Amino acid sequence: MKNAIYTVIAIAICVLLGKLIAHAIGTLPSSLYGLVCFTLLLNFNVISPQKINDTIEWAISNMGVCFVPSGVGIINHFELIKNHGLAIVFVIFVSTFILLTFVGVFFQKTLFNKTSDKPLDNLSD
Amino acid sequence: MYSIEPAFILYSITFVIATIVSYQLFAKVQSKLSLIWLNPMLLTILLIAAFIISIDMSFEEYFSYTIALNGLLEPAVVALGYPLYQHLHSIRHQWKVITLLLALGVFLVIPVSLILTMVLIVLPDIAVSLSLKSVTTPIGLSLTEALNGNNSITAFAIILAGLFGALLGIPWLKFIKVTSPKAQGLAIGAASHALGTATISKISYEHAAYGSLSIIISAVITAIVSPLLIPFLFNLFI
Repeated sequence: MKNAIYTVIAIAICVLLGKLIAHAIGTLPSSLYGLVCFTLLLNFNVISPQKINDTIEWAISNMGVCFVPSGVGIINHFELIKNHGLAIVFVIFVSTFILLTFVGVFFQKTLFNKTSDKPLDNLSD
Repeated sequence: MYSIEPAFILYSITFVIATIVSYQLFAKVQSKLSLIWLNPMLLTILLIAAFIISIDMSFEEYFSYTIALNGLLEPAVVALGYPLYQHLHSIRHQWKVITLLLALGVFLVIPVSLILTMVLIVLPDIAVSLSLKSVTTPIGLSLTEALNGNNSITAFAIILAGLFGALLGIPWLKFIKVTSPKAQGLAIGAASHALGTATISKISYEHAAYGSLSIIISAVITAIVSPLLIPFLFNLFI
C-alpha cells in the first residue's frame, strides 16, 4: 500500500513536470515529456525502481481501460461507418501491417548482423 | 454543460465503476479462455456503446461522466517510462539504428495511409485521422486537432491499429520470421502503440521495453514530422 502511494506520487510529479516542460517548450504533448522525466528520475535513482515495480506492472497490464471512453465515441459516427467503414478498416489494416513488417524485418536484420545479439535465446515465447 | 451536482457525481462514480468492472470481467474471461481476440477493451467498448444507446444516453454525456478515466491516459503514458528505464543500458548502443528505422517507418506509414484514404474515401479530415493512428492516443489526438482531423475517428482508428497489432501482431511477425523479442517489440510499439505494447508486455519485459521505446520515438518523430508532412502531401496529391 505504501509503495502504491509512493508510485502514484512519483507518477503525479512526472505528469506535472511534463506539463511544465510542455508549457515552456511546446512542440510535443506533455505526457511524452513526463515519460522521459520518469525514465530519467528512475535512472538517477531519484525515484526508487524497487518501490514502484509492482504498482507499475499492474498499471501497465490494466491500462487498456483508459481507452474505453474515447472508443465509445464511435457511436457518433454511424453514418460515416455505414458509408466508409470498410474502407477505413482496410486503410488501418493495410498501413498497420506495412509498418509492422517494415520495422520488424529491418530491425531483426540489424540484430542478426551483430553476433552478440542472437534472438535464438528467446524462442521460449 | 454538465454542472457539478450530486446527481452528476453519482452518475460519474456509477459509470466509471461500471466501465472498470466490465473491463475486469472481460479480462478474466479472456485469461480463462486465453483467446487473444477476446480483447477486454474492445468488448467493453461494444458493451458500453450498446448500453448507452439502449438507454438513449449521448456519447458526450457518457464521456463527461468518465472523464476521470480518460484523464488516466496521461499517467498511463508516463508509466511506460519504467520498462524503458529497465532496458536503457541495452538500448543505448542501438539508438541510432532504432531512430533511423522508426523515422523511415513514419515517412512510410503517413503517406500510405493518407493517400490510400484520399483515394478510397476522399475526406481530408478522415485522411488526417487515419495517418495519425499509429501513435499513442494523447499524441494522436492533439495532432489531429492541430491538423483539422476528426477526433473520434482518430480515437477509434488508434484503437483499431492497436487491436490489430495486439491480436495479430505476434502471429504475423512470427509468420514472416521476425522472432526476436526486440524486433517484435519495436514493430508493435511503432504500429500499435500502447495498446499493442500493453498486450505483448505480458510475453516478456524485453517486449515491453522495446515496445515503449518505439512508442516514444515514433510519437516524437510523428509530432515533429506530421505538421509539415501532412500539408505537404495534401498539396502534392490533391
